[in-house]
Amino acid sequence: MLPAEPLAAVPTDAALIAAWQGGDEQAAAELVRRHARALARFLGTGASGGDTDVDDLVQETFIRAFRALGQFRGQCRFRTWLMTIGGNVLKDAYRRVRRTRVVPLADDLRATDGDPHEHAVAAEMEARLADGLERLPRMQREVFLLRAQQGLEYEEIAAALGTTPGAARVHFHHAVKRLKENLA
Amino acid sequence: MTDEELEKLAQRLGARAAERLDVEATAQAVVDRLRAERAKGEPVGVWLPRQWLRIAAALVIAVGGGALALRVTRTHETTAPVTTAGADLDGLSTDQLNQVLHAVEQPAGQNVVSAQDVSLDDLNTVELRALLESLEG
Repeated sequence: MLPAEPLAAVPTDAALIAAWQGGDEQAAAELVRRHARALARFLGTGASGGDTDVDDLVQETFIRAFRALGQFRGQCRFRTWLMTIGGNVLKDAYRRVRRTRVVPLADDLRATDGDPHEHAVAAEMEARLADGLERLPRMQREVFLLRAQQGLEYEEIAAALGTTPGAARVHFHHAVKRLKENLA
Repeated sequence: MTDEELEKLAQRLGARAAERLDVEATAQAVVDRLRAERAKGEPVGVWLPRQWLRIAAALVIAVGGGALALRVTRTHETTAPVTTAGADLDGLSTDQLNQVLHAVEQPAGQNVVSAQDVSLDDLNTVELRALLESLEG
C-alpha cells in the first residue's frame, strides 16, 4: 500500500481575503468558487417565482462583498457574512420584482418526466413558500433561511445579523409559524 | 406540515438554482467586474472606519490651516523689508522714505516690523548698500 500523499494545504478564507487585498485576482475567484453554490441556494429561495436571475444575484452579492471586505472583521464565518450581504441584494431584488411582477411558469410545471401531478404539487408548495418568505419581515426571513437552509447555529446567526441568539430563536419560530400558515 | 418538512422544502427551494449556477462563469464575471472597478480607481476592499476618516479630515484641516496661518504671518512680517529692499529706493519720495525709517525704528514688542525682524542676511550687497544709503540720507 502506497503511503498517503500529504494533503495540499487548502488556503483559509482569511488567507484568500488577504491575498485578494494584496492584488491576487485568483484569490477572489477561489472565494467565489468556494461559496457560490451555498449563496445560490440562499438567494435562489428568494428568487424563485420571480423573474430575477440567480446568477446575477450571486454576482452582485460577491461584488458588494468585495467592495466592503474591509468591514469584515471575522465576527462570523465569511460565508455567513456573504449571506447577510445576499440578504440586502435579495431585498433590492424583491423591490424590483414588486414593481414589475411577472410570474413565469415554474420549471416543474414544464417538466415532462415523472408524475406531472406530483411536480405540480411540489411546484405549488415551493411557490407558496417563496411567496411566504417574501412576505416575512427581513430579519425573520434571514434567520429562517440561515437556520433551515444553511444549518447555522443561533449564535452564528446572531453574530452575523447583529442580534442575540435568543432573539434569533424567536425570529425563527415566528417565521416558521407564519410560513406554515401561508402553506396551510 | 412539520418543522422538518418545512425545512426540507426550504432546502429544495434553492437547490435547483444552486445546481444551475455556472460557478466558473460567475467567478470569472466577478473577477472581471472587480478588475474593471480597480482600473477605474474605485476603492475595492478598502474600508476606513468613519472615525478614522474624521480624524484624517481634522488633521488635513489642522495642517492646512497651520500652513496657511504661517504663510500669512511670514508675509506680514516680511512685507516692509521686502518692499524696502526689493524696491528701488531712489524712486521713493521723502515721505515714503520717512515711513520706511519709522518702521525700522519701531521698538520691539509692537505688532510692527522692527529692525531686528528685518532679515538683513537675506539681502544682497546691492540691496544692503541701497538700504544704508537711504538711512544715511
